[in-house]
Amino acid sequence: MRIVAIESATPAASVALAEGREVVGSSQRVDRRGHVAFLVPALEFLFDQAGWSPGDVDVVAVDVGPGLFGGIRAGLSTAQALAGAVGARLAPVSSLDAVALRAATAHRKIWAVVDARRGEYAVAPYQPVPGGVVREGGVELVSAEAFRAILASDRRDGLVVGDWEALPESVFRGLHGIKTGRPRYPAADAVVDLALARAERDDLPHPDEVRPRYLREPDVRINWTDFRREEPWR
Amino acid sequence: MTDAPAVLGIETSCDETAVAVVRGYRVLSNVLASQVDAHARFGGVVPEVAARAHVEAIRALTHRALAEAGMHQMDLDAIAATRGPGLAGALMVGFSYGKALAWALDTPFLGIDHMEGHLFAPRLDDPEYGPPAIVLLASGGHSQIVHLKDWGEYETLGSTIDDAAGEAFDKLARFLGLGYPGGPAIDRESEGGDPDAVRFPRALPDRPFDFSFSGLKTSVVTYVRKHHAAGTLPPIPDLAASIQEAIADVLVAKTFNAVEETGVRALAGGGGVLANRRLRARLAEEADRRGVALHLPSVAMCTDNGAMVAAAGVYRLGLGERTAPSADIDSSLRLG
Ligand SMILES: [Zn+2]
Repeated sequence: MRIVAIESATPAASVALAEGREVVGSSQRVDRRGHVAFLVPALEFLFDQAGWSPGDVDVVAVDVGPGLFGGIRAGLSTAQALAGAVGARLAPVSSLDAVALRAATAHRKIWAVVDARRGEYAVAPYQPVPGGVVREGGVELVSAEAFRAILASDRRDGLVVGDWEALPESVFRGLHGIKTGRPRYPAADAVVDLALARAERDDLPHPDEVRPRYLREPDVRINWTDFRREEPWR
Repeated sequence: MTDAPAVLGIETSCDETAVAVVRGYRVLSNVLASQVDAHARFGGVVPEVAARAHVEAIRALTHRALAEAGMHQMDLDAIAATRGPGLAGALMVGFSYGKALAWALDTPFLGIDHMEGHLFAPRLDDPEYGPPAIVLLASGGHSQIVHLKDWGEYETLGSTIDDAAGEAFDKLARFLGLGYPGGPAIDRESEGGDPDAVRFPRALPDRPFDFSFSGLKTSVVTYVRKHHAAGTLPPIPDLAASIQEAIADVLVAKTFNAVEETGVRALAGGGGVLANRRLRARLAEEADRRGVALHLPSVAMCTDNGAMVAAAGVYRLGLGERTAPSADIDSSLRLG
């Protein structure tokens, strides 16, 4: 099975090509505003290197968040177009799953963190198991203080991975049994593994059902300008 | 004519997800998913709401445009998508989708200036239209008068110094409680009203081709408050017709200033405000009186659409242009 993975849900965008589990090429760039410019040239380069043509692709895997709204949409639009052009299936994966999958621990509970901006963080707990991780609870959007409270109330030793550097240092101060580790961002090679697992279970949705995971309603701040402060006349 | 290139056009710069297939300058299909309902409850376009709606609509809409054109994607000669100006989050969706589709199909990609799309739209309805022409572009996001000297050679003669014309319609309709979007609401409410009932001021800054609408807004608000309190407020149709007349007057006056100044004998328009029936009638009257050829496209070609993007794509493709895979959107792109 030939898989293309597109990852652009965080400041680090990456693309990977894989034959089954074997990654045959990947490319990454960290530039929060550069995803639109990065993705297609990266695909073009990697396909040339690997001697692939788009028609060879069976599955297009894409990170649908949570994360940067614009980045997620750039990645999903790119993935939808590629999959639609060549009749490939689309495999949506979670940024938190991709981060947790690459956490290096055999026994600690894993906390994956993605910066959702505006002082909020998407977090989810995972249990390491042979060959991967299993999510142990729901994905939550929390403040730094709320995340600290969650960590403090958990009795197990934990490893926080993902963009914990975006959290204030005070979150971890005085917490026992909690360590921080890598990776900081999800990467396309992890997206490959997650997508492959879904494809092998034949658990791929219809492309129209693949939507970004925002976790937050649109921020509606309308510039009503002049008239906002005044009552309508009738 | 069948040898003319077939181009898929994608437009996602604001609140319409629009896709079309054009062959040469003939529209084979033109479909859109309007977000007006999504934004109506906020009384204006909310950028994040727009971007979300685009990403949900773009795939199915592209398939529908191809199906309605009776066309397979493999047979496209190019894919064009709006590159700017517009809302960054909205532009990213159509631009990313178009660029990736073009790459996967191994067909040329063209990033298109939205305003150039508007300049090409009249061509789709009317083979007589072409340079030299004066083009009035007016919508919720832009108001400008362009001298179309040649295809690809555009001079913006004037533009708004404050609100866009569509914005003025939206704000005044909101103030009067007439609904959103404001242009169609005021158009509808003015039915049977007397455009001379109230003489609102026509702001005519000393630059001959520039517009201003903020003074009108203030004047309407002051007038309505005063007369509402005194119980002497004219009926809504009269008010709506008078407001519409003031906006149309300014647009028409400035546009024909440009016609006279340049000596160009052809006039066209684009943008959502050009759907306003009173403005269309006034432009027609004035063009007729002065012997100027008028090329006003249908309402569907005035408002944002994929066909106009495809049409500009046909032109750019003909020049041998290609937009690089590494290209990005440009939300503040300027014509010319
Ligand atoms: Zn427009």
